[in-house]
Amino acid sequence: MAGLGLDLPTFISQLISFLILLALLTFFGYKPIRAMLDQRARKIKESLEREEDTKRKYEQAQLTVQEEIRKAHEQGQDIVIRATQTGREIAEKAEQEAEQEAQAAIKRSRAEAQRERTRAIDELRREFVDTSILAAEKIIEETLDKEKHRSLIEETLKESVTFKES
Amino acid sequence: MTEKPFLKRFLNLRVILFIGLALAIVSFIGGSVGAMFRNSSPLVFLATSSPQPVLPAEKPFAGLFVTNTMIASWISILVLFGLFFFASRKMKLLPGGLQNLVEFFCEVAINFTDDVAGKKWGRLFFPVCFTIFLFVLTNAWLDLTPGFGTVEMNGVPLLRNANSDINVPLMLAVVSFCFVEYQGFKAKGASYLQKFFNFGLLACGFRQLFSGRFKNGLKDTFMGIVAVFAGFIEGLSELIRMISFTFRLFGNMLAGTIVVMVMIYLVPWVIPSLFYGLEALLGFVQALIFAGLTLGFLTMAVTSEREETS
Repeated sequence: MAGLGLDLPTFISQLISFLILLALLTFFGYKPIRAMLDQRARKIKESLEREEDTKRKYEQAQLTVQEEIRKAHEQGQDIVIRATQTGREIAEKAEQEAEQEAQAAIKRSRAEAQRERTRAIDELRREFVDTSILAAEKIIEETLDKEKHRSLIEETLKESVTFKES
Repeated sequence: MTEKPFLKRFLNLRVILFIGLALAIVSFIGGSVGAMFRNSSPLVFLATSSPQPVLPAEKPFAGLFVTNTMIASWISILVLFGLFFFASRKMKLLPGGLQNLVEFFCEVAINFTDDVAGKKWGRLFFPVCFTIFLFVLTNAWLDLTPGFGTVEMNGVPLLRNANSDINVPLMLAVVSFCFVEYQGFKAKGASYLQKFFNFGLLACGFRQLFSGRFKNGLKDTFMGIVAVFAGFIEGLSELIRMISFTFRLFGNMLAGTIVVMVMIYLVPWVIPSLFYGLEALLGFVQALIFAGLTLGFLTMAVTSEREETS
């Protein structure tokens, strides 16, 4: 074996050298590199999870937005329907009020006309009385008690009016 | 216009091939082979000293026990340490340059060990196996660097391929053997030793023989003897494995060195370059075999038979 170069001091020296190399590489190479690889793998995993989470949130937000849009649409429809109804009610009310006002105006006009008529009749009656008195005075040329005469005619007229109306 | 670079390249390749062939022919005729046919000495500029391979590592410094293979292995250690130190000095999450390169190789090796031994054991086996791989590979490739064996001191080359010194392969084999046995013992406890010292069946056979159950006793005694013998063979194979580890690496590396040496002597130009390429491949393969086998034996040592069969 010595011919091959087998030598205990060389063997031990090489063994120590190899163990030193193993220690050096483990502490200065493998450990930090392994830690970095693990850290990177963790980061990538986290990023992927975050991406997945963001995607899920985005989809959820999209659904919420769609739901909100649908609700807003429904509310809008509701508002339009209510506005139309309110408009119709207002129009109806206005129409009713106008009709009531018209009716009141007609009523007022009628009352006015009635009043005018009554006044005209009264006026006419008075003129007629006066004319009758004058005529009677002229005819009988006798001055009667004017007031008494008047009341006589008035009574007669009333009787005649009552008679006519009945 | 587009064909010109291709043509240019082709011409260049042809020129290089021609020059290479010419140099090879000149060195063949003018070198030691041609000299033999010509019955004269080789041409002056092609004359090399005849190869004289020396098996034991030599000591370039008189009075010191430091051998040239020791110096070479220290250089390997420095190269590897420097590489890893600078790669892992300022590590970034987004790697670049040297860090990227080293990380890539480490990741490949980690995945390989994880695939073979599983994640739990792979993490434990990786440092030893990968260090063996790197040490063997660096020793082998360092031998191929220009000027490696040319510097002499006291008539002895200052540097020599550390793998071609039997102490280095033997040291690696011993490390591999000890690590395998340690891991096996750690994983299985005392039952790991049953693989080598299996006296249970033999004792059972003897008990049956003495208690009068001859038929079963004889059968178990016979099987017990077989089991003891198998354990002996198992133990022997572990030791022989160490020797085969040693001589596989030592033989391949020494043979490679000698082949290159002989080729340089016979045909000094061009042809040795081809053998250099072959040596580079051989160094890689040997490193892979050494580390791979260690990993395989480690996995076998820690895996129980139940797991193996399942």
